[in-house]
Amino acid sequence: MKTIQFQIRRQDDPYSPPYWESFSIPFRKGHNVVSALMVIRENPVTREGRRVDPVAWEFNCMEEVCGACSMVINGLPRQACSTLVDNLDQPIRLEPLSKFPVIRDLMVDRSRIFTDLKRVRAWIEIDGAWNIHRGAPRVSPEAWKENYLYSRCMSCGCCMEVCPQYGEDQTFVGPATLAAVRLMNAHPTGSYHKTQRLHAIMAEGGLSDCGNAQNCVRVCPKQIPLTTAIGELGREVTLQMLRDLFGKSE
Amino acid sequence: MQTSIHNTHFLLRRLHSLLGLLPVGGFLIFHLWENSQSRFGPAHYNEQVVGWLQGLNYLTLLEIFVIALPLLLHAGYGLLILRSGHNEWRRNPWLHHRLYLLQRISGIAILLFLLFHVGWTRIWGIWEPAVKADLFGHMQSILSQPPIFLLYLLGLLLSLIHLCNGLWTMAISWGLTTSVQAQRRWFLFCIALFVLLSAMGLHGMLGFIL
Ligand code: SF4
Ligand code: SF4
Ligand code: FES
Repeated sequence: MKTIQFQIRRQDDPYSPPYWESFSIPFRKGHNVVSALMVIRENPVTREGRRVDPVAWEFNCMEEVCGACSMVINGLPRQACSTLVDNLDQPIRLEPLSKFPVIRDLMVDRSRIFTDLKRVRAWIEIDGAWNIHRGAPRVSPEAWKENYLYSRCMSCGCCMEVCPQYGEDQTFVGPATLAAVRLMNAHPTGSYHKTQRLHAIMAEGGLSDCGNAQNCVRVCPKQIPLTTAIGELGREVTLQMLRDLFGKSE
Repeated sequence: MQTSIHNTHFLLRRLHSLLGLLPVGGFLIFHLWENSQSRFGPAHYNEQVVGWLQGLNYLTLLEIFVIALPLLLHAGYGLLILRSGHNEWRRNPWLHHRLYLLQRISGIAILLFLLFHVGWTRIWGIWEPAVKADLFGHMQSILSQPPIFLLYLLGLLLSLIHLCNGLWTMAISWGLTTSVQAQRRWFLFCIALFVLLSAMGLHGMLGFIL
């Protein structure tokens, strides 16, 4: 019988050591990694015939927009829901993202991304003591087109996974968070806090911790131009540094 | 409000970046140009090239403040930066990731090479007047030993890779190049500069022994 082979890196809880287990399921055309994991979950028996706890992993949207199912598949970080089994070499190796703490098996805790987004003020204040924008803010179609590219980030963590400067032992906020600063600063209302965001990424763990290895842009499933954002922010902080050192121009 | 100039992190990174180009990179180019004149023979080299340099007023101050101190700052802070990265050389086989690693490895290698190179020329010359008086002869005698020639070649190439790749990443960090196309064009420029400077350096090395 034709089968699909899996090797899965498992871990019972955040503190126990990881180990590998192999599974095989009957071949069916058109599986994605999530649907294959569901088949394993129905009958969690390893290739050696041992019944084990079902593999834990996360998923939600099933259309590559939530990022919950991100994991390392055959060495590359990507979304399990949109990764088609038919295109993969076997045995298919599944590992949790290595840059975030493992909760269990393929489930990781990505809450650090949220913490870092808050650190760089990656939100837009729409309420204030006064009417912040009179009428709808206007954006040119050209700017809108560029901003849209960045707005597709789903905080999946794939770019952080391959970034040599990002890790649990490092303060670097990572490429997606920098790109969020680029996006928020480009918004008419968001630009009110542009300086604060630039100062946030000029501190430890900010933009200058990027080593320009450009791995991030190679793996982003949403094709977000991360390295362009990094270059544009580089120019912004250079100008900000001049303003801080010599005073403003206007 | 906390601004960037109250946070030394950013300024130190930018200083590190700037020093790598000016004066350190600038001096490297000058040094290669200076030594490319070895082909005009010992008399010209010792009297016109080295002699002119040794006759400069305030030479020691220049050596300390334009060469040694910036170099030490760049290297020292570079060693600190090393700690902020992970060695993931087996993963992610893309070109710029390879160069990211090479930038770090070459940094350490250049430091070791410079200890040897500066020690055996400039520092030794302080105690050994013969070295200072006939630098051409001294270089000729050490470069005609194949292992040392290879070591110098390696030192030359690694220094130029470090300089040219540093120039490429610097353009992104400072925001000179932002778009993918601009970064690619700048990369071609940096490769061309690397080839040109390598040829100049090799020409200078060969001039001592041919
Ligand atoms: S930038 Fe791309 S890879 Fe990074 S978190 Fe956002 S969607 Fe994921
Ligand atoms: S370019 Fe910067 S952010 Fe992107 S992978 Fe490299 S070091 Fe990380
Ligand atoms: S389940 Fe939402 S991205 Fe895969």
